[in-house]
Amino acid sequence: MSKVNRRAVIKSAVALGAVAMLPRAKAQSGPVRVGYSMSRTGPWTGGAQTSQEPNYLMWAEQQNALGGLSVKGVRRPIELISFDDRSDIETVIRTYEKLMGSDKVDLVLPPWGSGANFAVAPLANRYGYPFLAPTALSSRLVELKLPYFFLLLQQPAPMVTAMIEMFKANGVKTIACIYVDDLFGLENFSALRAALQGSGITMIEDKSYPGGVKDLSPVLRSIKDKNPDAFVGFTYPPDTILASRQSKEIGFNPKFFYASVGTAFPLYKNVMTPAGAEGVMGMGSWNSKTSAGAKAYFDAHVASQKKEPDRWASGAAWAGLEIITAAVAKEGLDRKLIRDYVAGNTHKTILGDIRFNGSENVGTPGTVGQWQNGEFEVVWPQRLATAKLNPSKPAW
Amino acid sequence: MSLIAWIELIASGLITGGIYALVALGLNLQYGLMRILNIAHGEFLMVGAFITWMVQTQFGFSPLLMLPLSFFLLLALGIAVHWLCFRRLTSTSPNLDIFEARGLMVAFGLMFLVQNFVSYVWGGDLRGYDYLSEPVRFGEIQFAGNKLLVFGLSLLFSIVLIVLLRMTLLGKGVRALMQSPVGAQLVGIDTQRLHPLMFGIGLGLSGIAGCLLSMAYTISPSMGEPYTVTALIVITLGGFGSMGGALAGGLLLGVIEAVGMHFTNPSLKALLSYVVFISVLLLRPEGLFARKKRKA
Repeated sequence: MSKVNRRAVIKSAVALGAVAMLPRAKAQSGPVRVGYSMSRTGPWTGGAQTSQEPNYLMWAEQQNALGGLSVKGVRRPIELISFDDRSDIETVIRTYEKLMGSDKVDLVLPPWGSGANFAVAPLANRYGYPFLAPTALSSRLVELKLPYFFLLLQQPAPMVTAMIEMFKANGVKTIACIYVDDLFGLENFSALRAALQGSGITMIEDKSYPGGVKDLSPVLRSIKDKNPDAFVGFTYPPDTILASRQSKEIGFNPKFFYASVGTAFPLYKNVMTPAGAEGVMGMGSWNSKTSAGAKAYFDAHVASQKKEPDRWASGAAWAGLEIITAAVAKEGLDRKLIRDYVAGNTHKTILGDIRFNGSENVGTPGTVGQWQNGEFEVVWPQRLATAKLNPSKPAW
Repeated sequence: MSLIAWIELIASGLITGGIYALVALGLNLQYGLMRILNIAHGEFLMVGAFITWMVQTQFGFSPLLMLPLSFFLLLALGIAVHWLCFRRLTSTSPNLDIFEARGLMVAFGLMFLVQNFVSYVWGGDLRGYDYLSEPVRFGEIQFAGNKLLVFGLSLLFSIVLIVLLRMTLLGKGVRALMQSPVGAQLVGIDTQRLHPLMFGIGLGLSGIAGCLLSMAYTISPSMGEPYTVTALIVITLGGFGSMGGALAGGLLLGVIEAVGMHFTNPSLKALLSYVVFISVLLLRPEGLFARKKRKA
């Protein structure tokens, strides 16, 4: 063995020190590490893989094609660090703890769904990561007043108020409602009850149901017997399709048929056929006619992800990424400055001008969508409408 | 409530119950005959549903044509799975109880494997297609064509299986195996062949169930688990190993759920199912329709 002399030891120590310094030096020009957890398996997958993750992937792809994300004018490639959360809230929490606590990624993007966002929002706030959630609908999240948390979707009150205003304008006197018995369904149902007060519209039937339900026909038959003018479902994608199919099955044909998550999905048109979907209403806020940006986004999504985006939360997901991109270009990766930029400005997005009051997006009003000739059109309020409302849904 | 409304309610319960029965048949064959509590049953059903969906949307084939194909594909898969996993377990487990416990663990593994495989191949999106969704009228009552077809075929397959088990030599062998595995071997029944075949047929039936369900419901890689749970409730209701019991149990559960949901709330559906399940386990553990208490 060769003898180790002092000079060699000093040389090695210097070399080691230099290596230790490398990551820090590299961090200034290396990739921007963006972490998130997403449902790729489990019951949330349908929503997550339609409205959310395709946008994250497309964003990274587009930015990297431009040379990377502009960080105060310096282009740095985006490195996405993502994990499958198996549609499990515990896994979502653990993943974000790892991403923010030990991996210390530069930015995080939110998970799918109201429940998961509700669980992670306080955590992101504690670690000081700006969180722009495109698929969370909960006024309680607004009430938490978390400074780093922003909700891109229009919340239950404006969405339901828009629907009730549209009903009132079209002479609806009675409605029946079913709602999924989780945070999403319960909050929307409460908002509906509040919006109905003084509206002159009576709710003649309301029933909750569990997620993953396989048969709604007993409830739909009793609703059919009461013959309401409008049917309202605060439903998730499989239930949206189940309620529609079973309404067709039993010949339940109210003048207005409104369902929630999934109505704006391309899947709805495929499963119900364009003729079957005609006149069905739901939560939707944009389509490719909304703006030139929306058209460009729609086309890019089809080209990149080989499928259409949905006409509701997909738009919000992209709008959120537009805001983050602009924030980082202006403020760099200082998360406090990004947060202040998001909170303090009006943002030009494909959905229109978005601005936040606390956590809530108050820039874009509540909207109602409707399937017409194979496209999910925005039909209410009229100033944002991409097509005229059809006030009488044809029979299934 | 009018008579028509009652008929509609009971009929919709029976239709759902028929689907439950079909899903339970395959599991009943596996558990009743071989004590393999195949927790992955719903996942194999999902494979049948995805194959049907893929062929229907890609090539435009009628889902009905996929019934035999799903059956034989899943049958072959079942024989392969038995050969790879359960054959070895049978030879290494000192007794039936240990075999059952180990089999359960293997089935759990299969569940994750199949679910992730399908997610990998087809992605996690919700899928579906439109097939025979036009309502069929009977006077004032109407039901979707696909539901009636699913119900009719569920009944048909259940009855065919019951007749096969009652009338044929193969069926006699299978029933002998259910009553006494050792006795069956003593009288010369080839359990080495019968076990993989029956496990395969169990999976084949789940393939048929998946194929039929894809006509009426949206499908996703996570769709299987609730069906496994329902199948377990149904075979407990009907009595392990009793095919007639599974059919009656499935229909009964469907009607109980429909009536319960109508008069209370769909949110209480799980409560209703489990109250029935636990009551049967407490009061009549051998099942509502089994004649004699099953020996372990």
